[in-house]
Amino acid sequence: MFDLKKYRKKSPWILHYNAGSCNGCDIEILASLSPKYDLERFGVINTGNPKQSDIFLVTGPVTYRSRERLVELYTQMPEPKVVIAVGSCTCTGGVFRDMYNVEDGIDRYIPVDVYIAGCAASPELIIDGIVKALEILEQKSKEMEKPHKLFREATSEGGIVNRRHSALKVGEIDEEN
Amino acid sequence: MKKIKVSLESVRDEIKSFYDYKQWHLLTLNGLALAENKMEVQWIFSKYEAMDEIVVYYTEIENTETIPSIVDMIPSAIISQREIVDMFGVKVDGSEKGLYLDEDSMQRPLSGCSI
Amino acid sequence: MKKTINIPLGSQHISLLEPVRFKFECENEKIISVDSDVGFVHRGIERACTTKFKFDAIGYVVARVCGLCAITHSLSYTAAIEKLLGGEITKKAKYLRILLLELDRVHSHMLCLSHTCENAGFEAMFMRIMGDRELVMEIQELLTGNRVQFDYINIGGVNRDISSEVAQKIVNNLYEVKQRVLGYMDEFTNNWSLSLKFKTIGALSLDDAYRLNAIGPLARASGLNIDVRNEIGYLPFSEVGFVMQTHSEGDINARNIVRLNEILNSILMCENILSGLPEGEIFTKLKGKPNGEAVVRFEAPRGELMYYVKGNGSAMLDRVRIKTPTFASIPAFSHIFVGENYADAPAILASFDPCLSCTAK
Repeated sequence: MFDLKKYRKKSPWILHYNAGSCNGCDIEILASLSPKYDLERFGVINTGNPKQSDIFLVTGPVTYRSRERLVELYTQMPEPKVVIAVGSCTCTGGVFRDMYNVEDGIDRYIPVDVYIAGCAASPELIIDGIVKALEILEQKSKEMEKPHKLFREATSEGGIVNRRHSALKVGEIDEEN
Repeated sequence: MKKIKVSLESVRDEIKSFYDYKQWHLLTLNGLALAENKMEVQWIFSKYEAMDEIVVYYTEIENTETIPSIVDMIPSAIISQREIVDMFGVKVDGSEKGLYLDEDSMQRPLSGCSI
Repeated sequence: MKKTINIPLGSQHISLLEPVRFKFECENEKIISVDSDVGFVHRGIERACTTKFKFDAIGYVVARVCGLCAITHSLSYTAAIEKLLGGEITKKAKYLRILLLELDRVHSHMLCLSHTCENAGFEAMFMRIMGDRELVMEIQELLTGNRVQFDYINIGGVNRDISSEVAQKIVNNLYEVKQRVLGYMDEFTNNWSLSLKFKTIGALSLDDAYRLNAIGPLARASGLNIDVRNEIGYLPFSEVGFVMQTHSEGDINARNIVRLNEILNSILMCENILSGLPEGEIFTKLKGKPNGEAVVRFEAPRGELMYYVKGNGSAMLDRVRIKTPTFASIPAFSHIFVGENYADAPAILASFDPCLSCTAK
C-alpha cells in the first residue's frame, strides 16, 4: 500500500508564484535548485501545478492585480500545505511598502508558515526555510490524521466544535483527564 | 537633447515628415504633470548608430484634450500610449485603459491633481 | 462554426518566472493572434520616486525595479543625476562601474540561455549552465557584498573598492567561465536536437526589426546595429574593447549565438579592465540639488534602457520616467508569435528574455 505520508516527507513538491517581486528572489530560487546548492537532494521538484504541490513559495509584495491569483492558487492546493514568504518585500512590503498598487506583504491574504528575510534572500536562507517548512509539513500531516470528533466545549454555551480546529486545546484537556 | 515645441494639431504631420524608420526609433512617450489639469506630452526619438542624438517633440495640453495616435506610423508606440492613458487619465485615439490599473485601483497616479 | 481555439499561457505557468498572461488564438497548431496582459507586476515605482523618496535614495529604489538588471537601473539613474549636478567622477569609478555592468550581463545572459534550453526540453543543459553561472555569482558577491541586489553604485562613484585578491579571483573565475562558454558554443551550433527546436523558429526579419523598433539582442540577432554602448560617452566602453555582436538569421538560434558572443566580449572587457585598472579615489562628493531635465540611456542585458529625470532644485524630483527594454519590445514579441506552432511558444518566449517586472514597474 502507498504510504503517502512517507512520500510526502521524502519528496515535497514546490509551487512558485511571483506576486510582483523584482525577480531577484526568483532567480535565487532557481539558483538554489541548480547544481551548486542542489535543493533537489531533499526530493524537491519545482512544479507548475498547484494541485500536485505541497509547498507554496511566494515572492513579491502582492500587487493589486495578482492578489486574486495568489488566493486562487492557495485554495487549489491540497491539504496539508505550507506557505513560505521569500524575501523582505513578501514579508512586510519592504521597499515597496505604501506604494499605491502594493498590498504590503502576503500575510494580509493567506496564512504564512515560514518567513525568509533578505533582499534578495540568499539560496542558503531559502534552503534553511524549506527544511523548516518540511518539519511544519510533517507536523501538519500528523494533525490531519487525528480523527474528526465533535465534542462539547466547556466555555461555549452548548456549542459543538470540530475537534481539528482546536486540536491543541483538546490535547491539553486530554492530558489533564 | 534637442527639444522641439509643436502644437497638438500639427504633431502628427511633424512626426510624419521627420520619422524615417531606418534612421530613427521611438524611445517612448512621456508625460509630465505641469499644474492643475495641465500636462506636457513628449515624443522622444533616438538615432541609430549616432552619438547620443536625441530629439524630443513636446506639446502642452489640457487634461481634457485628446492626443492623436501615431500607431499607424510607428507600431511600437501603442504600448506607450496605453501607459500614458492609465497614468495621466488623458485620452489617446484608439488606446484603451487597463494596461496596468484596474477599475477599482487608484486612478491617474501621476497626474498631479489626484494626490 | 468557430474554427479557432483560445489557449491561455499564464499568469502562473511552469515556463514563466514572472506573471504575464498570453492568450493565444490557435488554428490547429498555428498561432494566429496573440493578446497579452503585462500589468501583473505594476507597483507604482515612478510615483514613489517623486513623492516618497529623496533624490539621493532613489538610486537604491530603482534597483528594485528589476533584480536581473538592477545595476543598469541604478547606473542610469545615477548618470542622469550626475549630468544634472554637473560633476565628473574619477576614472577608476568609471572602470569599476563597467566591470560590474559586464559581470551582470554575463550572468543574465547565462540565465536566459539556460532558461531557453529548459523550455525547449533540454533539462541537462539548464543544469549545466546554471551550475556554471554560480562562478559569476561568486565573484559578484566578492566584489559587491551581495549576490543579486548590489547597491554598489552611488551618486559620485561606487561604494566599495576592489582588492588585489578579489581581482585575481575574478580573473581566475572568468577564465573558467570562458572555457565553459566555448563549450556551449559548440553545443548550440552543432547539437542536432537543439537545432530542431531553435533553427528557423521564431524568426524576425531585419525590416520588421526596423519597423517595430526592436532593441537589444532581439534586434542584433536580426542584423540591426543597435547597441547603446556604442552610442554613449559617459563610460569608456570602446577603451576596454567593446565590439558589437550581430547575426543575420533572426531566429532563436541567432539570439542564442548573439548572447554567447556577448558573454565572450564581456569577459574580454572585464579582463581588460582588471589588467589596466587606474589608480585613484573611487568616490567624488557632488554638491547641489538636481535642476533641469536629462535623458540617459544604457544598454541593459535585454536592450536599451532609458531614464528621463526632471529636477526642480529641491530634494524631491518632479518626474522619473523609466523606459525599459521589454516594454518597448512587446509589439515585436506579439509579431513574432503569429504563425508559429503553439508547442514552440514557451521556448520563443524564453528566447526574448522578457523581464516583466521591468515592464510594469
